[in-house]
Amino acid sequence: MSSAPAFPPSAEPAAVRVENLSKSFNDPKRGEVRAVDRVSFQVARGEIFGLLGPNGAGKTTTLRLISTLLKPTSGTALVGGCDIVAEPAKVRERIGFLAGETGLYPRLTPREILKFFGEMHGMKGAPLAGRVQQMIARFGIEKFADTRTDKLSTGMKQRVAIARTMLHDPPVLILDEPTAGLDVPSARNIEQAVKEAKQAGKSIIYSTHFMEEAEFLCDRIAVISDGVVKITGTMEDLRRATGKQRLREIFVDLLGI
Amino acid sequence: MRFPFLAAIYRKEMLDLIRDRRTLISMVVVPVFVFPIIMSLMGFVIGAMEDKAERESKTQTIGLKVANPAVRETLSKAGLVVADKDNLRALIEQKAIVAGVEEVAAAGQAPEFRVYSDNSNPTSAAASEKVRAALAGLKEAIVRSSLRASGVPEAVLTPFSVAKVNVAPPKKMAATMWGSMLGYLMILLMFSGGMYPVIDMTAGEKERHTLESFLATPAGRNEIVVGKMLAAMTAILMTALLTLTSIVVSIRSNRIGGNSAEVRQMFSTIPLDAGNIGLILVTLLPLCVLAAAVMIAIAMFARGFKEGTSYLTPVMLFVLFPAMLGGMPNLELTPALALIPIFNASQLIRGIILGDFTRAAFLVTMAANLVYATIALAIAKNRFETESVLFRT
Ligand SMILES: Nc1ncnc2c1ncn2[C@@H]1O[C@H](COP(=O)(O)OP(=O)(O)OP(=O)(O)O)[C@@H](O)[C@H]1O
Ligand SMILES: [Mg+2]
Repeated sequence: MSSAPAFPPSAEPAAVRVENLSKSFNDPKRGEVRAVDRVSFQVARGEIFGLLGPNGAGKTTTLRLISTLLKPTSGTALVGGCDIVAEPAKVRERIGFLAGETGLYPRLTPREILKFFGEMHGMKGAPLAGRVQQMIARFGIEKFADTRTDKLSTGMKQRVAIARTMLHDPPVLILDEPTAGLDVPSARNIEQAVKEAKQAGKSIIYSTHFMEEAEFLCDRIAVISDGVVKITGTMEDLRRATGKQRLREIFVDLLGI
Repeated sequence: MRFPFLAAIYRKEMLDLIRDRRTLISMVVVPVFVFPIIMSLMGFVIGAMEDKAERESKTQTIGLKVANPAVRETLSKAGLVVADKDNLRALIEQKAIVAGVEEVAAAGQAPEFRVYSDNSNPTSAAASEKVRAALAGLKEAIVRSSLRASGVPEAVLTPFSVAKVNVAPPKKMAATMWGSMLGYLMILLMFSGGMYPVIDMTAGEKERHTLESFLATPAGRNEIVVGKMLAAMTAILMTALLTLTSIVVSIRSNRIGGNSAEVRQMFSTIPLDAGNIGLILVTLLPLCVLAAAVMIAIAMFARGFKEGTSYLTPVMLFVLFPAMLGGMPNLELTPALALIPIFNASQLIRGIILGDFTRAAFLVTMAANLVYATIALAIAKNRFETESVLFRT
């Protein structure tokens, strides 16, 4: 990983610290929508943090706020010690962000896309080409690395998207439903990569609809509904608080449905 | 602004553009092929029509209803086919004859020869033209012979003659024509050539869900906008120059202007030299920035390709009018008028071609367009920082 840009070692114990983060939208039809309402949590190094919630709960908005794509109405978050409001550019250097409905440039090839995103992180030349090749091998992209992405299947595209997110070896990964719409092998491949990233000491925020996946993958989980965090903790914490075993039951209990 | 980022963004946008069939068609195929094809088709059709009229006017019958035998003789000698007919008007309408001559005698007056033709039919018009010329020749011959008979010298017929001399050299004539056309054409081409690429790199990125990932990288917003703008400018200039070249080439090598040597020469003289080409490019450059920035700023509002097209189409209309006005003769480019964007450049290009513009007008035009371009660029950059634009639902 010598080709990835170096980051100053952070003195922060938590790689991500979200503090009272709120975001309201002014929707012409619905009026003010509190999409994220005083959300707080921390993610340590080497931890996978799950965001679980029904449609419209505010998962995507929270992740977009942390990725500096949206400005919070109030509250803030620190990513690797950098404030998302005061130092958005520095935050963007430290994250790998996978958007929910992420797309790939249809007329470019996976190799071209990976190279471009590497360049957008200040990488270049032979080290970049080497790193791109490494990611291509890691995610099983070799066979279609030089095919235009509009010719690829959903699973192939998602591998490229994940490779793109991890290419510059960021300390923080923000993944919005990375396995949505994927078949079992593709989903497994991605889960595997996320586990490896955890082993490498990355902090990962992972939003999902799949209870099973959250249970299998995440160290801690926040259940979010209507923009509010209902509970945060390990599976054990959640079981103890609700008296239920299966995450699905816990979920139903917490949301009162 | 970091150069490696700018270069990488520019490269990615260009790669994306060049591989897009739609853009490639609007940028290369249309400019290179459409004009020559349209022009040579037009030239061919016009030429063929003229030839046909010329040929048929000599082979089709001209109806005569005349007593004077000299008329028949003269027309036959002129190579026309004649026959005695009665109802000339009806026969022409039925296309049984191509034209007709009727002698109308009036008591105590010289006879009148009426030449009938259907001027909506080029053959009939050409035939009637030939008949009239032949009759005029006959008239003059009769006058001459009468003069000779009464012993008057023929010279009385022409006490003097009149000749027209156009002191404007062909180059200047050509300059008037190109002057009123070139600026308008270039501006129009720049805006239309930039439309698809710009929509593709703004609304297209939103539609394909690639923008979010791009914006989450450390690329500066100004680097993104300028990189995209440079790619759009490349497309714009390429379309404009390719189209211009192909227009010039196809004009020089076709028959537009038909058989009129003067019109042909006017078209085929290109009043451009290195000096004024340079000045025209300098005039167009800020306009190119302006076009790219304005279109990016507007197309950025759109959520998809279709919406982008419907936002930019009215912009074309807004551009069309001042560009056309700018080509009008007799409008002097005063410093105040030079403040009007688009119009000023169109007028200035006309002035450059005619070799007739003031330094003040040039400087004001350049300065004004640079200021507008900068403002448009700032607005475009702002679009990339506005949440409600980026995540419009
Ligand atoms: N740009 C926006 N303008 C207005 N309202 C928005 C905007 N983005 C999100 N919202 C609203 O904010 C709320 C939270 O949406 P969000 O997309 O964050 O939910 P989510 O948890 O990601 O849902 P899903 O599981 O469907 O992806 C919803 O009510 C949504 O309609
Ligand atoms: Mg979502």
